[in-house]
Amino acid sequence: MGDAIRLEGVTKTFGDMIAVDNLDLSIPTGGLYGFIGPNGAGKTTTIRMLMSILFPDSGTLQVLGHGSALAAKDKIGYLPEERGVYKNMRVGAYLKFIARLKGVAENTIEDRIQTLLGRVELPDVAGKNCEDLSKGMQQKIQFAAAIINEPQLLILDEPFSGLDPVSMRLLRDQIVAEHNRGATILFSTHVMPQAEEICDHVIMIHRGTKVIDAPIQAILGQYDTGTVIIEPLDVAADTSDLAKIRGVEAVHARDGHVELHLAEGTDQARVMRRVITTLPVARMELSRPRLEDIFVRLVAGGSDEDADELISELNSPAKAPAAV
Amino acid sequence: MKKVFWIALREFIATVATKAFVIGLLFLPVIVGVTLFAINLMNDDDYRAVGKIAILDPTGRVTAEARQVLSSNAMEARLASQLRETDSLLAASADLVESLDIGPEFTLMQLSADASIDDEKQYLLLPPEAGGLLALVEIHADAIEAESTESDFGSYDLYVAPNIDDRESDAVEFMLEDAIVNLRFETYGLERETIDRLTRISGEQSITVTETEERETFGALNVMLPAAFMFLLLIGIMGGGQGLMTSTIEEKSSRVVEVLLSAVSPLELMAGKLFGFMSVALVGMIIYLAAGLFALTSFSLFGLIDPMLIVYLFIFFVIAFFTVGSVMMAIGAAVNELREAQSLMMPVTILIMMPWFLWLPISRDPNSALSVSVSFIPPINTFGMLLRLSSTEPPPTWQVWLSIGIGLLFVYVSIWCAARIFRIGLLLTGKPPNFKTLIRWIRAG
Repeated sequence: MGDAIRLEGVTKTFGDMIAVDNLDLSIPTGGLYGFIGPNGAGKTTTIRMLMSILFPDSGTLQVLGHGSALAAKDKIGYLPEERGVYKNMRVGAYLKFIARLKGVAENTIEDRIQTLLGRVELPDVAGKNCEDLSKGMQQKIQFAAAIINEPQLLILDEPFSGLDPVSMRLLRDQIVAEHNRGATILFSTHVMPQAEEICDHVIMIHRGTKVIDAPIQAILGQYDTGTVIIEPLDVAADTSDLAKIRGVEAVHARDGHVELHLAEGTDQARVMRRVITTLPVARMELSRPRLEDIFVRLVAGGSDEDADELISELNSPAKAPAAV
Repeated sequence: MKKVFWIALREFIATVATKAFVIGLLFLPVIVGVTLFAINLMNDDDYRAVGKIAILDPTGRVTAEARQVLSSNAMEARLASQLRETDSLLAASADLVESLDIGPEFTLMQLSADASIDDEKQYLLLPPEAGGLLALVEIHADAIEAESTESDFGSYDLYVAPNIDDRESDAVEFMLEDAIVNLRFETYGLERETIDRLTRISGEQSITVTETEERETFGALNVMLPAAFMFLLLIGIMGGGQGLMTSTIEEKSSRVVEVLLSAVSPLELMAGKLFGFMSVALVGMIIYLAAGLFALTSFSLFGLIDPMLIVYLFIFFVIAFFTVGSVMMAIGAAVNELREAQSLMMPVTILIMMPWFLWLPISRDPNSALSVSVSFIPPINTFGMLLRLSSTEPPPTWQVWLSIGIGLLFVYVSIWCAARIFRIGLLLTGKPPNFKTLIRWIRAG
């Protein structure tokens, strides 16, 4: 199976600002990739280049086997970050218009519209004006428009922004459904739990450069062996004895749990066995970073050295999870 | 091409199927009709010039003759006669004038020979009810009889009240001139009626001979016809261009544009919008043109129009629309809201308005150096050539096709530049660009 998307050495500048810097990227057909990074990292610019809305200053780009998305627009679904609808147009007419632009067969359009409106749980809005819908409803219509042509490649730029938790869940299910149908999906998001939950691969860019390109399980599997998290069975239990365990440098009580910070070279398995004999626990695990932690550390971590250290840490071979 | 069609269709339906379009289409004829009706309504048929006129008359004859002129309804007869002489079309108006008693109601006062004009002038400042004068006249001593056979006749000095109506002023002058001329005839032993008849040529006919027919000449229509064609062209371009700009701004501000760009290329989007709004403008133009042709047919003047003129109207419309429309769309793409577009629109508006200034010189002398030059300078060549084509002396065919060729070349350049601005501007927000930035976009695009 080939790549649905391939970027090699792509650079894009706006005046003096380098938006995307020598970016290499490949997304295999059928993949479900999350594209994350802080604001201004270059995600939208990259996506716009993928859609041939912008063009790179240098580098090559392939989308669904074509040198430009212009040749494959009918096979691509796109939900831009800055999206809108024709306010004075009826929902059905709008979807029909987009379907026609996307080359959907004329005799299937009406059925397709009804199916999609049902999927986004807005079955009765076809006759309503777009401006009469709430922002969240409009967003669902925009998503329906993005998949109206049953795209081979679906690119979603911040699809969850502005949605309530219920709509967010619905959209997540629809993204997964499209993936199950066989579509390759690339979506950018700031909602890290969603990315963790549905992506099978994550690409993170920072200041126009790719900093992470790894399967989600590999990222989440990189345990921080220096910290053990304990949730005591009795939340009011005295945890002061935990500090006396050899190798434990510090004990921090957090919301409902306790973190044991171990000295370098400490045998975590031994510490964990000692914990059990010291205190009844409801849960105990080695700490592992969430995507959000990585994101925050990268963006708010301060110095470039910190970021570089984190990047190198994340790109090193994953350590094996410790057994409890 | 199909996508261009769908975009054009959407633009067309979204514009034509609105109340605003229907109202806009009817607005112009309605406003013209209402204005004419209002003018007619305000026109006081019973108007009569009234007032006191003091005359210092060293000849001692003019005041009496002026009274005679006023009393004999001679003014109505003279006015009617003048109308008939001006144009046979106005004969009906002349009959109307004659049938109405619209002569002025002046009270003439002859001042004594030693009266001071400067003192009398004070009465011009008083209201009529306080004895104020409408006019004060000083007849020259030689107004009726010249001092010698070689010298010119004298005339009169007229002093009027500050608030005098132009109709009152005209009536005073008419009365005085009629009286003075009558007295001159009398003095020199001539019979005015005979001389008037001798010097009047009436019932003359001017026939315009064309290759296919002979018809009555309508001098006014020779000037009005080019104006009508220019108006049709202007109204189509202004309406369509403005619509294109507004729609582009709306698509940009409502963020729908990026959705569209995910389905079509910027050039396809631009082409679709251009065709859509061109169709809208064509609908308006065809309706006005049909109304105009219907009016001409009603007056049996359809023969005035060469059918090729209508063909050329459409050709030049397409050229002008693509030129102006692409520029307007580029402006729409470059700005964030309508307000920001004003400064960028100024040069386009001036260019579009230029034909109004050139209408009379071109339609009166369609083969002058100015007319020929204008018909080859884009983007106003479309207007210039159409004015020449609809004039009394149409240009040679090779000039017409050269102008079309130049126009098409300029369309290509306009669309090429506009497409670059359009592509870059559509996705940019923030401070609107100035002309320098637009040129940079064209070069970088």
